[in-house]
Amino acid sequence: MAALTPAEVRALASLVDELDYYQLLEIAREAPASAVKRAYYAVSRRLHPDANRDLAAPDRETLEAVACRVSEAYQVLRDGRRRKAYDAQLAAGAGGRMQLAEAEAQAEKQALDHHMGRTPNGRRFFNLARGDIDRGNLVAAARNLRTALTFEPDNAYFRKKLDDVSAAQRAAAQRR
Amino acid sequence: MAEIAIGIDLGTSNSCVAVARGKRVEVLPNAYGEHVTASVVHFAESGSVGVGNAARAALIHDPRHTVASAKRLIGRYSFSEEVKKARAVYSYEIVDGPGHSVRVRIRNELFSLPEIAAMVLKEMKLVAETRLGRPVTQAVITVPAYFNDNQRQATKDAGRIAGLEVLRLLNEPTAAALAYGFGRGLTQRVAVYDLGGGTFDISILEIGQDVFEVLATCGDTYLGGDDFDDRVIDLLADAFVAKHGVNVRKDPFALEKLKFAAENAKRALSVDDEAEIRIPEIAKSPEGVPLTLEHKLGAREFAALVGDLVQRTFKVCDEALGQAGLVPRDLDGVILVGGPTRLPLVRQAVETYFGQPAKTDVDPDQVVAMGAAIHASTLIGGGTQDAFLLDVTPLSLRIGVAGGLAETVIERNTPVPIEQTRSFTTYQDDQEAVKIRVYQGESRKAEENELLGQFEFGGLDKRPRGHARIDVTFAINSDGLVNVTARDRETGRQASTAITLSSGLSAQELDSIVAEKRTDRVVSEPAPSAVPAPAAQTSGELEVLDDADLDSLLEADAESLDDIGAGVVTPLGDDLGVELGAPAEEKLFESGDFDLSSEDTQDPSQG
Repeated sequence: MAALTPAEVRALASLVDELDYYQLLEIAREAPASAVKRAYYAVSRRLHPDANRDLAAPDRETLEAVACRVSEAYQVLRDGRRRKAYDAQLAAGAGGRMQLAEAEAQAEKQALDHHMGRTPNGRRFFNLARGDIDRGNLVAAARNLRTALTFEPDNAYFRKKLDDVSAAQRAAAQRR
Repeated sequence: MAEIAIGIDLGTSNSCVAVARGKRVEVLPNAYGEHVTASVVHFAESGSVGVGNAARAALIHDPRHTVASAKRLIGRYSFSEEVKKARAVYSYEIVDGPGHSVRVRIRNELFSLPEIAAMVLKEMKLVAETRLGRPVTQAVITVPAYFNDNQRQATKDAGRIAGLEVLRLLNEPTAAALAYGFGRGLTQRVAVYDLGGGTFDISILEIGQDVFEVLATCGDTYLGGDDFDDRVIDLLADAFVAKHGVNVRKDPFALEKLKFAAENAKRALSVDDEAEIRIPEIAKSPEGVPLTLEHKLGAREFAALVGDLVQRTFKVCDEALGQAGLVPRDLDGVILVGGPTRLPLVRQAVETYFGQPAKTDVDPDQVVAMGAAIHASTLIGGGTQDAFLLDVTPLSLRIGVAGGLAETVIERNTPVPIEQTRSFTTYQDDQEAVKIRVYQGESRKAEENELLGQFEFGGLDKRPRGHARIDVTFAINSDGLVNVTARDRETGRQASTAITLSSGLSAQELDSIVAEKRTDRVVSEPAPSAVPAPAAQTSGELEVLDDADLDSLLEADAESLDDIGAGVVTPLGDDLGVELGAPAEEKLFESGDFDLSSEDTQDPSQG
């Protein structure tokens, strides 16, 4: 394993703020999820302070900062949700760095949007179903959820809600 | 002379030291030939300090001056549950130190917990130096993966007090996985189930050739084999009260005897279906008649006593698997670590939970030290084959915000090293300082987490509220240690603190303790003449051989046979500090390379 020279470390450190996470891990933007882990291993092997024990203390500290950024890149890109949020930030030209808490918050927000529905009709019928559930009208809720699903057949959250409602209906039927 | 660095497993009940050279890893036995040394410290009246089995025996006859299970207290606040419990259970005196820290008072002398731990480390250092015949100054020390920053910092301080440069604080399960997978070119996902004397850890790792990536780590630093003993003690003491009307818990000597008996019963149950407990003259009846405690503890009764503790570990396993996004059948192997995993009850439960037999090719008492040794040798560049560790932080790092809440800055199981920055502002006009509180834990409520420390960032320019911008950077390094820096964005002024937690030692305190050299009082006892000193190389070796290795080893072995004939002696206590000639030292290492599994590993005292 070829260790880095002090000059290389300094060059890398000065560059790190310019790089987005894909560039840092040396993978293409469309690289599959499995490539992220491989890239993290490969880059860590080269950049991890443990692999560069011979550097003088200040250089090792500089390198540690780079290694921190590599961890951050991996933590964002390894998770499909966070990666999507990061891609959106890149597309918006809002910089190549994303705090982990921010990535998580954005990912949650996207998930919530997904819960609420992506199409106007999906959202409309899902909202109707939520009202039905609040009023305890499970039959109407199930019908509206089924309708919402015709607009967004792949919406796992709608599907799960429908399963929940069906289960509640069965339980209610049993009690009677 | 080539650099050398050792690996030390600093355990709650027992400690173990190992060294790795190239692909060969060996556990270094103490003067008694034991591979593990009791983590018990005895302060003799003469002022000398003994560590190990002799000290453990002193628990019975001199409990007030004997400190056991110090690891349960290290890095804890004096008001913590663990410390409260220790005050009730241990006979030595536990007192409050500055900033809610814990001190131990022995014969009117105060010791911090890092100092006590340092005495155990010092003993392990002496064991290594004796066996290697040369001074040792560098070490990798293992800690439970679930240790928080306070506990880690205190352990690192202990290393420094013991005169060791701590190359790395390594998580115990990670070390175990390293020892298991090192040099084998595996591509596997494994779980390490580590039930120690005082702590439980579960880590899920992905091994990809030479890379060891921790996917998730969870744990419980309030759960271990000691708790099993406590259940047995309660059973015995309650039965004794019922039968004789005498509470043996009130007599410290009787209580120590009871603890010993409980521990031995637990060990017996690792091999037998039944343990016979008999303590003659444990107490006297009100009429002055000596009473004997007798009890037959069956495996089934024991299982009923501790079953809930074992089940508690699986809740933690669920959590770890969930964090790693895996189910038990995704795993290629389960590695058991820690004495209590020798109990059939524990082993069977683990195998049921994971749906597969546990790996038995590693010794649960020694595997952690061996992993530490491998990592130590890699870090100083002595490894012929690098093993590369990618670990995570086990606990979420949080910052205190309004309303008594704590907001996550770095989520648990994030790879380390890592650095994150948050911006803060003032909430009052002309506010000149902000207070920053840092926590570790998984609760939204600040008070339910461990407070690592707090610091005030002052000297802000007077501005309307919300105008100041203070960037606070949180960093966790590869040791799992936390560092916090604050910077005023306007002025660029910076304040930094390795959070000096209130429960640890301040920098000045540490310096004066190091200068005081109280660990010099640790004296290694020479082996009793009745016990023959074993050859330096014994069982506990973990070898990975390919054909080329085998050839070179065979050659080495041929040479070493001569050495045995010539009577190479293992250096003992007296030779300490005297450097042996290099050839003798090399041979010392090679003469028993093929003695892979001697019977000493069956020593029940290691349970």
